[in-house]
Formats: sequence, C-alpha cells, structure tokens
Amino acid sequence: MGVILAIAKTTLGEAVRRRVLLVILLVGVLFLAIAPALEALSPRQELTVLRALTLGIIQLTSAVIAVVLTVYLIPNEIERRTIYTILSKPVRRWQFLIGKYLGAVGALGLMMLLMTTIMLLVFLIMRKVEGTAEIASLAKVPFAFFIQMSLLAAVSVFFSTFASPIVNFFLSGGVYLVGTVFDSFFDVLSKNSQLNPAVKGMASIVHVIVPNFQSFNVQNPAINQLQFIQSEGMFYLGLGVYAFTYISILLIAGIVVFEYREV
Amino acid sequence: MSLAIETRDLVKTYKSRSGPINVVSNLNLQVEPGEIFGFLGPNGAGKTTTIKILLGVIYQTTGDAYVLGKEAGDIAIHKQISYLPEKPYYYEHMTGLEIMQFYASLFGIHDLKKCKDLLERVNLGNDMNRPISQYSKGMQQRVGLAQSLLNDPKLLFLDEPTGGLDPIAHIEIRDLILQFRDEGKTVFISSHELSDVERICDRVAIINKGEVVAQGRLEELLIGGRIELTANGCPDDLATRLRDEDTLVSINHGRMIVDVPDTHNPDQIAKMVQAAGGEIVSIIPRRKRLEDLFLEAVTGDNIAKGRRLDRIVEKQGEEKN
Repeated sequence: MGVILAIAKTTLGEAVRRRVLLVILLVGVLFLAIAPALEALSPRQELTVLRALTLGIIQLTSAVIAVVLTVYLIPNEIERRTIYTILSKPVRRWQFLIGKYLGAVGALGLMMLLMTTIMLLVFLIMRKVEGTAEIASLAKVPFAFFIQMSLLAAVSVFFSTFASPIVNFFLSGGVYLVGTVFDSFFDVLSKNSQLNPAVKGMASIVHVIVPNFQSFNVQNPAINQLQFIQSEGMFYLGLGVYAFTYISILLIAGIVVFEYREV
Repeated sequence: MSLAIETRDLVKTYKSRSGPINVVSNLNLQVEPGEIFGFLGPNGAGKTTTIKILLGVIYQTTGDAYVLGKEAGDIAIHKQISYLPEKPYYYEHMTGLEIMQFYASLFGIHDLKKCKDLLERVNLGNDMNRPISQYSKGMQQRVGLAQSLLNDPKLLFLDEPTGGLDPIAHIEIRDLILQFRDEGKTVFISSHELSDVERICDRVAIINKGEVVAQGRLEELLIGGRIELTANGCPDDLATRLRDEDTLVSINHGRMIVDVPDTHNPDQIAKMVQAAGGEIVSIIPRRKRLEDLFLEAVTGDNIAKGRRLDRIVEKQGEEKN
C-alpha cells in the first residue's frame, strides 16, 4: 500500500502543477465567477438557469480536466523514462497503474472541490441559496459528478495502457459522449423489436459495455426544487457501487494490458 | 558463486513493416560479481534493449537472462539492484531530498537520515532542499546515483552515467563508481565514454547489431599496439587510398593522421605519403586503447565504417565552406 500511496502522492503533486490543467481550471473558475452576471438573459427563471449553468460549467470543466489529466499519465512516464527507475525498484506494474490512477483522481477531486467551493461562495454572496439543506442539495451534484469523472478517468487510464494520448483523448471523449448523451438512444435501439437483429445486438453491446454516465447527472432536483430523488441514500449507494464495479473492471483490464506491454 | 548477470542466446525481435528485426541476437554475457563491467557498442547496437530485458521492463523473444542468479524481471531481485537511466528525468516540482524520499518509499524505506547522508555522499548536501528544476545536469546525475544507492544494491545498472557532463562532474561520477566496486558492488555500465570505461572497468563486452563481438578482461583484449603516423601537406585522395579495415585515417587541411596496428610496416605508409607530396611529422608507437579495440570490433560493419567516413567528409566540407 505504501508504494501505491507514494506513486499517488507524486502523481497528485505533479498534476496540480500542470499548466494546461491549471489553465482549464482557471477558465472554469472564471465562468463560475461571472455566471451570475448572465442572469439578465432570462429574468423569469433566473435561479434555474443560473444553477443549471454553473453545474454545467463544473461538469464540462471536470470532464476536460479528467481526460487531459489521464491521457498523459502513462505515456509521459515512458517518454521521460521515469517509469524505468520506478519499475526497476520492487514495484509491480499493477501498483504503478493503481497509484497513477489514485493520484489523478485525487488531483481531480481537489480541482472539483475548488470549483464547488467557488460556486457555493458565489451563490452565498449573491444570496442565491438559503439554508444548509439547499447548500447540501447543490453540493451533492458535484459529488455525483466527481464519481462520474472518476469513472471517466478509469476509462482513460485503461486506454492509456495501449493508445497514444491523442487517440486516447478521442476514445475517452467518445465513450463519455456516448455514455452521457446517447445512452438512452442506444437503450431504445436495443429494445426495439422491429430493428434488424444485428443492429439491435450492436446497440445492446454498446449499451452494456459503455458506462451509463447519464445516471450521474443528478442536477435536476438541485435546479428544479419540485423534483426529488426517491430513497436518496439507496440511490447514491447504487451509483457508488455501479461506478466502483466499472472502475474495478476497467482498471483490471488496464493492468492486464499493461502487464504484457513493453515500455 | 553465481554470476551477477548471465544471458544465454538472448534474442529480442521486433516486428516492423519490412519484417522482423533482431535488436538483440544470440547475446551471451557473463558478468562476475564485484566487477565493473563495461557494455559498449555503437548507437542502435542493442545495449539499452538488453538492459531493459535485464531489468524486466521488456521481455526477450527467446533465450535466457539471469540477474543475481534469478530470472530477469523477478520482483525479488529488484530489492538488490538499481538502475540509473541515460538522461534521467525527475519530477521537477520536487527537491532533491523529496526525490530521495519518494524512491526510498518504493523500497519501504522511511529513513530521512539515510536520504540526507546519501545526498551528502554525492556532494549535494547544500542543495538537497532546492527544486530539482534548478539542478544542473551533473547535479541531476548525482541525485540519480544517490537514489540508486538507497537499497544498498548488490548490482547497479548505469546507462551513460557520464554522458554530457563537464570534466569535473565526470571525474566525480567516475570516482563514485570506483567506490562502489570497493564496497563489493557489481557495476554494469553502458557507455560511449571509452576513456572512462578503459580507466574503471575490469571487463568489457562490445556488441554490434545485437551480437557480442568482443568480451573479456581489458588487459587481455588490449594486447598489441598501434602506430600513429602524422604527416603534413597530404592530398585528400591519399586518405581514401590508405584507409582499409585496419587503417584509420583522418585528414584536416592536409594534416593527416594514420593509425594502424603495430603489425603493419610504417615505412611502407611513409613512402606512400612522401610519394604523394606529404611530409612526415612523426611516427609514434603506442599501446592499444579501448577506442582501437572498439573500432576494430565494429569496423567490419558498414554502418559503423560509413559513419566514421561521413564524419570526416562532413568535417572537410564544413571547412571548405
């Protein structure tokens, strides 16, 4: 465990200093800070729009950070030869991979925490939230996003064990897009009895293999207070178990590929 | 006592569009415990690939590789070996001391004093708290050596340990390597710095195109001498006429240096020089150097010979321009 933590700590330390990530984070934070100024665009439902907008900014910024952070995790280590000094020590490849992943998720968590804090501060200063219940309701959304991004990072780490950073960027981005926007589309296709069996089969495979990122989009109750999640505790537990299962499968698959990869 | 390193008919083949390429081909190495072993060869000879196989970061296609008596890649031997890569990179946000602590933690060592002592040993005591990004190349190399000593290894792999260093850093690193041998460690050095290798290594292996072309104790391999003939006013085409498998010729503004084994008759060469209008400056016999052995070993290879020829032709071209 000590080896994994040492690698994770170093990865985190390096990630939070990477300029490209800091620039993306800065852009996200800037948008969060100026978002309230956009309320004039829709005076009728200003609060709804503002919440949707800020949560959307956090989600999009986090997704970009998650992918950019993880696509270079392994290739950078190989290119700079740091992997050789590490793997020539009593470090197993799976420990290296898990350490890199945990470090990346840690850095991602810190960046998301910063964005969430800024969002809540802006809301408090602008008096857009009242009471701890409302703050908690808002804070739960970035938390669900964090689990979603941890899953996206696992997808990207898996691809990084064999794909170049550019290819990985599009693969991971594609998987996220399919799992977020097109998941219900593939779900409908896979259940359509009138479809060609081959197309239906393909749609079923995509629907099963690609993680359902959409299920982590829990912003509706925070945006529209008339909506709520039934058995909220069980719902979040289910989300956690779902993400943990997928992350485990992806990391195990990554370890298998990485174990036989020549670095 | 078993060998520190042994390879038996080691082969590493990579697939390419033009067919399989043997980067390492039937390589047989024997490194004795407690010696400094020089692993030499031109660029692309397969040195780094061999080291990577011995470290277990890549796998051989066929053949066997043993390190400290166990199969290469066995995680148990990683506690007893160390590796310093060519042009090492360290996480730049960390200080020298933090780098040491990081690598120490990979061995399960949490001993701050040991980390500091090792940095003191490589003369980085005053700089251990500075970020590595502020270190010179020589300082980074010394951090590399310090981290490679964390586990008190029995065997060190050093890939170009003195490459690109200034003369003082060069001497410091060389002295450290000699200290390692005095402490009973085996040191496996891959290097292009032939003068360093000649000074500190007990035995060497020269490889070319993945095969060992010479291996043994330096005093045995460097038997025989050379004769160096220097002449002025020589025409360029004379160099081409004199150059052959054993004869190394360089020419610069009509000043020609001919280097031949002492089995050759220097009078014959002197006559050719004089007949071409050249003036003999000196004929000096000298002992055989590792550079001579290296060139003899790889000179049968057209690529190596072509490179040497190209270098001379390029130099002449630059001067004419």
